[in-house]
Amino acid sequence: MTKSTTADSTKQAWGGRAAGYAAIRDYAAIGDGRAVALVARDGAIDWLCTPDLDSPSVFGALLDADRGGSFELRPSVPYRVERHYRPGTNVLETTFHTQDGVVRVVDAMTLAGPGLGPFRELARRVEGLTGEVRLRWRIEPRFGYAQAETRIERRLGVPVATSGASALAVQCWNADESATDQDAIGGSVELRAGESALIALSIAHQEPLVFSSREQVEARIDATARGWAGWSAGRDYDGPWRDAVIRSALALKLLVHAPSGAVAAAATTSLPEEVGGERNWDYRFCWVRDSAFTLRAFLGLGCAADARAYFWWLMQASQLTHPRLRVLYRLDGGAQAPERTLPLHGYRASRPVRIGNGAAGQLQLDTYGELLQTAWLYAVSGHGIDADIAGRLAEMADLVCRIWRQPDAGIWEVRSEPRHFTQSRMMCWVALDRACDLARRGVIPDRHAGRWLGEARSIQEFVETRCFSQEKGSYVRHPGSDEPDASLLLGVLLAYGDPGSDRWAGTIDAIRRELGNGPFLHRYTGEDGLTGSEGAFLTCSFWLAEALARSGRVDEAIQLMDQLVGLANDVGLYAEEIEPASGAFLGNFPQGLSHLALISAALAVTEAMAE
Amino acid sequence: MSIWGALAGGFAGTLVLTTALRAGNELNLTRMDLPFLLGTAFTSDRTRAKALGYVLHFLVGLGFALIYYAIFVAIGHSGWWLGAIFGLVHGLFSGTALVDTLLPLIHPRMGTRSTAAPSVALLEPPGFLMLNYGVQTPLVSLVAHIAYGTLVGGFVSLAG
Repeated sequence: MTKSTTADSTKQAWGGRAAGYAAIRDYAAIGDGRAVALVARDGAIDWLCTPDLDSPSVFGALLDADRGGSFELRPSVPYRVERHYRPGTNVLETTFHTQDGVVRVVDAMTLAGPGLGPFRELARRVEGLTGEVRLRWRIEPRFGYAQAETRIERRLGVPVATSGASALAVQCWNADESATDQDAIGGSVELRAGESALIALSIAHQEPLVFSSREQVEARIDATARGWAGWSAGRDYDGPWRDAVIRSALALKLLVHAPSGAVAAAATTSLPEEVGGERNWDYRFCWVRDSAFTLRAFLGLGCAADARAYFWWLMQASQLTHPRLRVLYRLDGGAQAPERTLPLHGYRASRPVRIGNGAAGQLQLDTYGELLQTAWLYAVSGHGIDADIAGRLAEMADLVCRIWRQPDAGIWEVRSEPRHFTQSRMMCWVALDRACDLARRGVIPDRHAGRWLGEARSIQEFVETRCFSQEKGSYVRHPGSDEPDASLLLGVLLAYGDPGSDRWAGTIDAIRRELGNGPFLHRYTGEDGLTGSEGAFLTCSFWLAEALARSGRVDEAIQLMDQLVGLANDVGLYAEEIEPASGAFLGNFPQGLSHLALISAALAVTEAMAE
Repeated sequence: MSIWGALAGGFAGTLVLTTALRAGNELNLTRMDLPFLLGTAFTSDRTRAKALGYVLHFLVGLGFALIYYAIFVAIGHSGWWLGAIFGLVHGLFSGTALVDTLLPLIHPRMGTRSTAAPSVALLEPPGFLMLNYGVQTPLVSLVAHIAYGTLVGGFVSLAG
């Protein structure tokens, strides 16, 4: 077994850019609990949406290298890069080695502190380490996904970019801004060892800009690092993959919408599952599907406050559509997420670029299992559930009894005809099983518990007789097919049946055999209503590791975890998918579900090792 | 004409004016936030500044309503249309002398044209007609002030 060394990143070579686009693997994320910026290895910030991570972008070069807007900062001579997060923080340090010397760039989205600070602030401190290095910087703000008119003006001698109710001021110290023009704000920095420069973006939305002194910005950078370090020091996990788990927790914390507790699935939209393809989706929403993993991660890592905030947000949001669940909700709790396309080039010509998500209106029966499992985890960990929510949970169980026979789009949100997906039925069983247990514990009303138990048995009978292939010795994707489906592993994780049974052993083996490629797993092999293909789904690999641990195959689980932890990028982050041959990341980034699955698997495997 | 009518009109007018400015924010028309500007004159805490700013804004709204009332009494006339004209003048005065020139001079956290290298956080000054907060700001501000003046004038005449 090897320990993760994801915090240190000096060994990987940088692949450069293709047609202006950096590899997804080359990004690191910084954020403040409201907005997330993606920083490439070459120092460019190619993605930032403000005021919140689901708002329109001001830097969108990630999706349109020519017009999207970015904040470039790099040496004016050839360089080599190494970078890492400051231990236990979301403060990024990128070190450029040049023939003239070495400089370090410290990037942070500062956290609010005492005193009057900017609405949002992105600060970049450049430190001369050796020799004398000249850097160039250029900021091209392009508000509204580069669709809104952006004006560059001056206030108090400071260059500002404005558009409607949004504005951005660029304050710099020990850096000139001689290259500022009507399109961009920029200049150069020249540093000797021991010197430093600072460039701060003060961002305003629906209010006047706030200008700060250098001392105030420096103090906020340091306070931000202390704030993150303090938060991560309080996390409980102390197993063999601690570095990876803490980095995952920090990545997850970046995706938590601080005002509500909602957790975005990712910080980006339309990063492709296949470069050049159409599988490009907006993930800046909170999926009910992820809820059980989210709560397990929060509880398992000792984030009780985050767990409470998330659970109450989830119950508040779902109240709008009760007793039915939407597949996803906006971070502000809204249920509507109309999908439309933007006239952008797309990441490496991957079009369409979508905002909003049409999956919101799909029927996905598995969500009820995830939500009841979430409530069960919350209750059995000692948290109280009030009578109103208890009643609503019982009504959801009643609804599952009525609708579990309907075809649905399944966990993978296929855009082909709805089907009777096996995993959806298993999760309906989970919903009713957890409801029965909550009723037994007196947490929710037990008036209909008899019916829930009867319907759960009917679901189980359906799954065991219609969704299991005797020939393959495995559960299959849906009745009448012999296709495997990696989401079936969730049956093991959420205790559908005995994880040590022959049926689960056969299913795990079939999934590895038919969907696997080394440590990688694809989601499924059948049609899904879309053209093209996709990479291996990282979350499924972590589910496999957890399933192996839960079914008693601990050595295999440990071996797989070691391999998977090594697949992170140089700063320990994961996208949604990975291309097995090249290791290139695909899909939105950083992907919350990948990190949630890592945490869940690490906790499960560590527990299994202890047993 | 009644002073109570003026105060009631001032309250209703400020309510509408504040709502119109917030709507202007939400419609992406302006970054003007009068309660924030007023509140940060007294505290650097964002949350307290907004809460205090709303209280101050309503007090200022009542104060202006009393000035309107004094002028109505002095000229012996009041009404919706006269109030609307007062509101227009009030809006132009606010966007030029009051907020552009006077506020930066007395606001301890607002930059002026001579500000450089701040040692404390400074708010972006509004500029002529508050154009720094967005090119649509004068329009939003004038509409909101005309609505305010109309309500004050109307309430004063109704109470008469």
